[in-house]
Amino acid sequence: MSGKRSAVIFVGVLLLASCRGGDSAAPQEGAGGIKVDVGVTSEACPEAKDKSKGCIYLGTISDLTEGPFKTLAVPITDAQKAFWKRVNDKGGIGGYEVDVTKYVKDNKYNPQIHNQVYQEIKGNVLALTQTLGSPTTAAILPDMKNTKMVAVPASWTSLWGFEDGVLESGANYCVESMNAVDHGVEKMGVKSVMAVHNPGDYGDDAAAGAKIAAEKRGLTFENVTTTPGQDNQGGAIDAVVSKKPDLVILTTGPTDAAVIIGQAAARGFTGRFIGTSPTWNPGLLKSPAAPAIKALYMQSAPWKSWSTESVGHTALRAALPGVTPNDGYTAGWVWAYPLKAALEKAVENKDLTRAGVLAAVKQLTSVDYEGMLPSGAGNFSASPQDALFRQSTLYKPDDASPTGVTLVEDFFTGSTAKDFKFEKPCYQ
Amino acid sequence: MDEFLQSLIRGLGTGSIYSLLALGFVIIYKSTQVISFAQPAFMLAGAVLVSYLSPAVSFVGAVVVAAVVIAVLALGVERAVLRPMVGKPVFVVAIITIGVDVVVRVVTNAFIGLDVRQVGDPWGLNTVSFLGAEVQERYLVMIATTAVVTALLFLFFRYSRIGLAMRAVAYDQEVALAQGVSVGSVFALSWALAGGLAALAGVFVATGAGVDQQLWIVALKALPAIIIGGLESLGGAVVGGLTVGVVESLFGTYQNDFAPWLGPNFGLVAPYALMLLVLLVRPYGLFGKREVERL
Repeated sequence: MSGKRSAVIFVGVLLLASCRGGDSAAPQEGAGGIKVDVGVTSEACPEAKDKSKGCIYLGTISDLTEGPFKTLAVPITDAQKAFWKRVNDKGGIGGYEVDVTKYVKDNKYNPQIHNQVYQEIKGNVLALTQTLGSPTTAAILPDMKNTKMVAVPASWTSLWGFEDGVLESGANYCVESMNAVDHGVEKMGVKSVMAVHNPGDYGDDAAAGAKIAAEKRGLTFENVTTTPGQDNQGGAIDAVVSKKPDLVILTTGPTDAAVIIGQAAARGFTGRFIGTSPTWNPGLLKSPAAPAIKALYMQSAPWKSWSTESVGHTALRAALPGVTPNDGYTAGWVWAYPLKAALEKAVENKDLTRAGVLAAVKQLTSVDYEGMLPSGAGNFSASPQDALFRQSTLYKPDDASPTGVTLVEDFFTGSTAKDFKFEKPCYQ
Repeated sequence: MDEFLQSLIRGLGTGSIYSLLALGFVIIYKSTQVISFAQPAFMLAGAVLVSYLSPAVSFVGAVVVAAVVIAVLALGVERAVLRPMVGKPVFVVAIITIGVDVVVRVVTNAFIGLDVRQVGDPWGLNTVSFLGAEVQERYLVMIATTAVVTALLFLFFRYSRIGLAMRAVAYDQEVALAQGVSVGSVFALSWALAGGLAALAGVFVATGAGVDQQLWIVALKALPAIIIGGLESLGGAVVGGLTVGVVESLFGTYQNDFAPWLGPNFGLVAPYALMLLVLLVRPYGLFGKREVERL
């Protein structure tokens, strides 16, 4: 083949590729005089309840097969499918039903794959009902900003408080840890704190919060980074056992947390552990580390557990009958509320375009979480300092509870988080 | 002294796991000249299988059944996926083993479910007094089991007809074939042995906190072990595995006192630093075979 012919074909392919998708589609008028562009069709959704309604397509990028957070990602995704089905069953949003089943992609918790699958679906979806992980979402953030894509994160880093298009819910890792340290000071009398955490903004954000609280409270503080993997916890265990802090703030995966707590206790450590929400898994109550976990561990959480009595929790349980209780479901369900509110606001504004949804997000002064978060949560209109949600909860292990934990401290704000000036992400 | 002994036993215990994995890598390498990257998946599958079987047939029974089942699974994979690739470049076969690893892990992950699974071992985190120091029982069991398995493997290769055939194939495939040795059977048996060893290692890893889908990552620690010990040496695999475990543990315990400037997690890097040192002095590993190539 001649070079000239190859060049012509290459340019042709490029032109075709640039036409693909419709990511930059011009706004059109849809049902009820609502302006629409990308990811909204007048045709019904593939699994529509009412075939006369149009369809709003939302994308999901999650860790669904072999990545490290699959056990959380799968229930999050299932809960969000159930959430949006409930929305459709109640009549949808402004003459449209919502589809979250057609554009579901696996990121394997890899930022490169995350970006790749995002590129595959971004021309077909109005917004993302889930983008799982902090480093993975960071990989698509510039593109999201360029295309005015609104997204719901499945992570709790404090960075999201500074991103207009990211609809975070509940307290971030930083606030959770501040509150955990404050609780330790007031209820346990701790004088020294150690943050044992994974590298990256998950662990670093929590460690930063613990450090801020320790400094404010005049406590000694140690920072220990630990690599994920059960066989990699030796250094962290040695640090805990040798430094003997009164309180360890843990930010790891569940089995790593169990190894650290179990082994440290076996070597005579008697201090307390408070782990951020991803450190917990009900299966740990059957592990060899269970006695140590029951004696020394508490879990901090951004909202209340699966079995709580609230309108939202009851709807969640009713929508997912027969599943093994897991707070991944709770998280997926809670996270979906702000996007629902934003879509409803955009419909009210008669502008269901990407830009219209982003504008609607900035008008949300609060979100109705149906009692799953206290009133005042879900403020996306104010500055990060004013909008930051500063309440978290604390749980302790309990064999009798469906998710293995029972509430110790209802939504509370410690003095550190209350006074904290939120001017940049905690870990920066 | 107690602290040193505790750290040493911990290191030998985890080193035993690395040794079992390293033995699997070396057995496959010796017979097929391929590094099998499917070992992590077999390790995970073994632990998951034990978590299902142990409530029904006791922990020991479950371990035996799981080791046999995973051995048969590995043998099946070799027959179905790897055998057609005989004669192809080893690099291609090694890449295929990565594919096998992903497939087996994804299928296994589906059986893990949402909760961390437990293998139901009888030791938990119980400790026992050993030479005056309190050490965890499970580490002593790991060391003893690995010693027995290693001894049995050596006897098998030294005295059994099949073991002799495997050594012949490792030495020269064509000559072994000419002598009537079924090279294909040797390939299959090496995969089966490696699969069984990986399953046993997976169970030991899971005795601390349970089985989650990230358990497989531990298998990667066997790589510095086989490089340190030498790719062709079974004894080297055992020594390499134990060395990695002990170095990791001792650095974890003492490095913060003696060399804090190295950072808090240097214990994890130490085996790789040791590997580089060994490679500088003995490029084929401590017990590896020096390759002579005629040009």
